[in-house]
Amino acid sequence: MGKTTYKRLKGSQNLRHRLLLATLSSSPILIEDIRADDTLPGLRQHEVSLLRLFDKVSDDCVVEINETGTKLKYRPGIVMGGRHLVHDCGVSRSIGYFLEPLILLGLFANKPLTIRLKGITNDSNDPLVDTFRSTTLPLLKRFGVPSEGLDLKIESRGSPPHGGGEVVLTIPVVQSLNAVTWTDVGMVKRIRGVTFSTRVSSQFENTMIHAARGIFNRFIPDVHIFTDHKAGTQAGSSPGYGISLVAETNAGCFISADMAIAYAREEETGDIEDEKKELMPPEDVGGQIASILLGEIEQGGVVDSTHQGLLFLLCALCPQDVSKIRSAKLSPYGIEMLRHIRDFLGVKFVIKPDPSTGTVILKCIGCGLKNLNRKVS
Amino acid sequence: MERTVSRQNTNLMQLVYGKATSTPTTTLNEAQDSSDDEESDGDDFFKPKGEGKKNLGEGFDDGNVNAEDCSKFTNLENLKNWKDEELIQSIRDRFVTGDWQK
Repeated sequence: MGKTTYKRLKGSQNLRHRLLLATLSSSPILIEDIRADDTLPGLRQHEVSLLRLFDKVSDDCVVEINETGTKLKYRPGIVMGGRHLVHDCGVSRSIGYFLEPLILLGLFANKPLTIRLKGITNDSNDPLVDTFRSTTLPLLKRFGVPSEGLDLKIESRGSPPHGGGEVVLTIPVVQSLNAVTWTDVGMVKRIRGVTFSTRVSSQFENTMIHAARGIFNRFIPDVHIFTDHKAGTQAGSSPGYGISLVAETNAGCFISADMAIAYAREEETGDIEDEKKELMPPEDVGGQIASILLGEIEQGGVVDSTHQGLLFLLCALCPQDVSKIRSAKLSPYGIEMLRHIRDFLGVKFVIKPDPSTGTVILKCIGCGLKNLNRKVS
Repeated sequence: MERTVSRQNTNLMQLVYGKATSTPTTTLNEAQDSSDDEESDGDDFFKPKGEGKKNLGEGFDDGNVNAEDCSKFTNLENLKNWKDEELIQSIRDRFVTGDWQK
C-alpha cells in the first residue's frame, strides 16, 4: 500500500465528531496535542473505550496511540456491524456518549447491528437512554430509516459512579437517507415521559412527576409520565433517579429534555472531596425539568438543542438533494458539528436567521453518501 | 430592516464557518511521514501549564482546558419561572390548547 494521507487535527475536543466523520468519509486522521498540557495528559478512559468500540464494529481499521496518549492515528476500516456484539463502556461517561456516534455507524454498516452496551445508563452529561428511545430513534425515521429493527432495549439501569446498566441496541442498515424539508414545528399536542429510580425509594418518582405536572397543567392536559423503578440486580450498583420528557407536536417533532441525579464520580481530576454533596431533591428535579422542556419548546426548532448536531449530520449525509430545516439558536455542539461536516464531507450549510420567530433556517445539499459497505442482496 | 436582516445572515455564516479563507480547525492535508520531529523545541519547554489553549473550548463549565465532548447544552442558571402568567401567555400558542384562530 502506498503512503496514506492523514488529515491532521489538534486537541482533544470533538473526538466523536472526528472519528465518526472520518469513518463515514473514509478519511484517515491524525490528532495531535491531546491534552498535552494537562496534568493527566492523553486520551481519557471513555475515549479509549470509544476507539475500541469503533474497532469492534469495523473491519480492518487501524488505531495507533503514542505512549502518552497525546497523539492518535486512526485509519477507518469497513463498518461491518453484526449481531451479538458486547461492549463495556466503562464508567467515565454514560452509554449516551457512545450511542450518539454508534447509531450512525450502524446505519451505514455492512450488516444490521445488534450490540449490548454495559455501563452507566443515566447521567447528567449525556442524553439518557430513555431520551434515545423517545426522541432520537423517531428522528432517524424522519430521514427514511425503517422502524423494523430499530430499537433500544433497557435491560437494567446503572447510575454513576459504579454503573451496572445494560442496554441492547439494534440498528438496521440503509442504502441512503432521504432528504427532508422540515420547517414546520407545529403545536405541542402531548407530553410523555418516564422517570426512573435505582436503589432509592420509588416515591422519588411520584414526587418528580407531581412537580413537573404542576407546571404543565397550565399548558396542556395530555401529560403522561410513566415510572420505571428498578430493584435488585436490575438497578445497577449505585443510587440515582431522574426523568426524561418529550413533547410531541402535531407536525411530528419530538422535543426532549432530561435530567439525572446521582452521586458524583470520584473524578480522576484529582480534587478530593470528602463530603458527599447533597443531591437535588426530587421536587426540584421535576420543576426544573419542566422548565427546561418549556424553554426548549419556546426556542422553536424542529429538534431540541441536544439533537441539533445529529440533525445537521443527517441532512449532510442525504443524497444530493436539498434539505431545509428550522433549528433553534445554534448550540456550541451544533456549531462544531457544522464545522466538522464542512471539513470532512465538504457540505456547507446556508444559514439564515428567521427574525420573526427567533429561529434559524438551514439549507444544504447532501453529500450523497451511499452505503458501500452494505451487502447486495 | 432589510439591511439588518442581510447583515445578520452573513454574520451567522461567518460565526459558524469563519471568514472566507481562514478555517477554525487546522485541516492541512499532508503526507504523513514517520516524524515526531515537531514535538516541542526548547523554547516552549517551560511554558506555564494550560496557558495556550484556554480559549479553545467554548468555555462552559468543567474548567477543562479541552472542551468536553458533550451534546447536551442546558443552562440551569437561565431557567425561567414558568408559573409567571405573562410567560405562559408568550408560548400559549405553541400548544394545541392555545388560541390558534389567528
